[in-house]
Amino acid sequence: MAKRGFLAFIVILLLAIGMLPVLSMLIKSVMVGGHFTLASYRGLLTSARQWTLMGNSMALASLITTLTVAVGVPLGILLGKTDLPFRRFFTVLFVIPLLIPPYIIAVSWFDLLGREGLLVHLSGISATMTAGFLFGLPGCVAVLFSIFLPIPMLLTMILLRTINPRLEEAGRLVSGWQGVMKGVTIPLILPGVLLSAMLVFLLSFGEFSVPNFLRYDVFPVESFTRFSAFYDFKAATAAAVPLVAVMLILLLAEAAFLRERTYQLRPSPEIGGLSLIGLGTHRKWLFASVAIAGFVIVIVPIVVLVIQSAGIDAYAEALNRAGDSLLRSLIYAVIGATLLTFLGFFTGYLIQTKALKLWRSVDSLTILLLALPSTVIGIGLISLWNTSWTNFIYSTPIIIILGYLAKYTALTSRISVAQLGQIPSAMEEAAQVAGAGWFRRITFIIAPLARRGLLIGWVVGYIFSLRDTGITMLVYPAGHETLPVRIFTLMANGSPQLIAALCMIMITATLLPAGILWMMPSIMKRKAIK
Amino acid sequence: MKIVSIDSVSKFYDGEKVLDSISLEIDQGERTVILGPSGCGKTTILRLIAGFIAPDAGAISIAGEMVSRNGRIIKPPEQRNVGMVFQDLALWPHLSVKGNIEFGLKAKGLPKIERSRRIRETLNLVSMAGYADRKPAELSGGQQQRVALARALVLEPGVLLMDEPLSSLDPELNIRLRKEILRLQEKLGFTMVYITHNRDEAFEIATRVLDIFKAPLPFL
Repeated sequence: MAKRGFLAFIVILLLAIGMLPVLSMLIKSVMVGGHFTLASYRGLLTSARQWTLMGNSMALASLITTLTVAVGVPLGILLGKTDLPFRRFFTVLFVIPLLIPPYIIAVSWFDLLGREGLLVHLSGISATMTAGFLFGLPGCVAVLFSIFLPIPMLLTMILLRTINPRLEEAGRLVSGWQGVMKGVTIPLILPGVLLSAMLVFLLSFGEFSVPNFLRYDVFPVESFTRFSAFYDFKAATAAAVPLVAVMLILLLAEAAFLRERTYQLRPSPEIGGLSLIGLGTHRKWLFASVAIAGFVIVIVPIVVLVIQSAGIDAYAEALNRAGDSLLRSLIYAVIGATLLTFLGFFTGYLIQTKALKLWRSVDSLTILLLALPSTVIGIGLISLWNTSWTNFIYSTPIIIILGYLAKYTALTSRISVAQLGQIPSAMEEAAQVAGAGWFRRITFIIAPLARRGLLIGWVVGYIFSLRDTGITMLVYPAGHETLPVRIFTLMANGSPQLIAALCMIMITATLLPAGILWMMPSIMKRKAIK
Repeated sequence: MKIVSIDSVSKFYDGEKVLDSISLEIDQGERTVILGPSGCGKTTILRLIAGFIAPDAGAISIAGEMVSRNGRIIKPPEQRNVGMVFQDLALWPHLSVKGNIEFGLKAKGLPKIERSRRIRETLNLVSMAGYADRKPAELSGGQQQRVALARALVLEPGVLLMDEPLSSLDPELNIRLRKEILRLQEKLGFTMVYITHNRDEAFEIATRVLDIFKAPLPFL
């Protein structure tokens, strides 16, 4: 009873944090003076601008999805399944762009290719040509490609580890690796690859900071502009509705065709170890290709920021002008990560154990909230909490934390599902027959066994809370702006050196815990040897 | 004629010795059963013969040809003419019964007419005609077993390796399928290396039993 009651409370909490704001936003957009009206939506189907926005959004998301899957899946196979040298290093390298706020990558490419960019200064190439490439669709595709590439890459690597090695070995008895990959491995991971494609499509469809910076008109930019520049709540909601509709259609398709087949992403028992493909004579050129790609996609943008921000002055000014924002960002990210870990753990437990009948709906809800553009969640939160009764939420950082919880619970919840799935149910059952109540079982058996997942969940929650721009930008109360928001607003009039220094501080603050986590296994191993 | 020769083979996993300089010779048409407890290295022997792993020391020959030696795989699995039935069967879940059996024939580049003929004949052999279009998940445990056997036999392997293939079946079905395997081996005459921890199963199937319960592997 305690178990069901507590989990029901978690579900109610999720609904209140995530679903209520979105519903409130939709209801308010169709109610004027207590009467139902569709006035805000009248222009939605008839206006040529709406169709242009839809075309642009679709073109951007489709191009990014195609490119990331076309490159990410082979890259994932190379890093997860072959004897390519430095696989672990390359994996971490390619993941970096996903961990930092997307617009920082755009800023870096602007510093390189913009009118005052390094390339123009160093090589004398026409600024019109480089800037022409950077702004609009090509630049958005290039930047978002580097940011979302790790999604199909990582999912492919994880999926490869879920395949029973015996299935591949059965193929190896009669065919070379090429035939086994084509006939066995790739068909087996295909549902997961499609899931990663859908995830990339949803995330790029809802992304606003990069298209906003690189001036490419898409729905999230329109919705954000309508709200922040004109404070036209109803027009902003109307611009967000096509986003919600596309997300819902894709998520329903995912639930119908893919979810059952991609639920159990667990490592397969490795009797004799995961079989690696020997690259033989191809090893050198493949290594060179991956190294060059990593250099261009990840190292160049970071080096550009380092060069641009060179000098203590830029960092001193950055800390002087945004030190308070940095401190706030760190505090909010730590609180956000801790609450996300808590909420994600119990949501994951509910989904994994199917303890309540509506476990599937809870899973769908968290994924829907992750997929929804930040602008939708941000506007929803304001719509719900901006009342005199709830001012203690609206005018304090609580609203920022609620935004993190609404958007990112799916991440910590999925990590928990994967981790809890590896704990045999007999562990909890043994504690139960020994007379332990549910809270005791959770505290002393399940949580300690799932501590690795909890730690990973916390770091993921910290990174995504810290890098969040879209929700925070809309909801932050006066005097509570975070570092990503501060950088974004300073971009209009701050010097490139200052912006680059702030971006470097942001990158360091984001990657530091991830770096510690990455090094932890070897530190612990060393300790154990001593 | 010796079809498999294992010569002073050692194998380590994570620094721990699993096989310590073992030697073994298997004759053409022989039904060799390795009988032993879990963790004694039985499966490792099969994986070494199949070519999934290389011996850290020693050499393995199949049909008179050296296939691996001292940490190096000379011939990869697909060139050894070896079939295998895995403990968990490893039927490809995304392919039909026909697809599972056809995979190896396609990899060998056989024309479609030849492939169809051999699939039909093999399905008849294991009494599974009429199930060609089913997916593995739509079959019973015994039927899945027959498909795994058909998939291994369709390529007419020189050696058939069987890794506790009946261990997950109920006793009645286990006994029935033992007889089935014996019937097929007697009819087709293939060489068989069979692993089990079930004494009855071992003595019913084998023409030679290597009992690790009695003598540990190094003294084979």
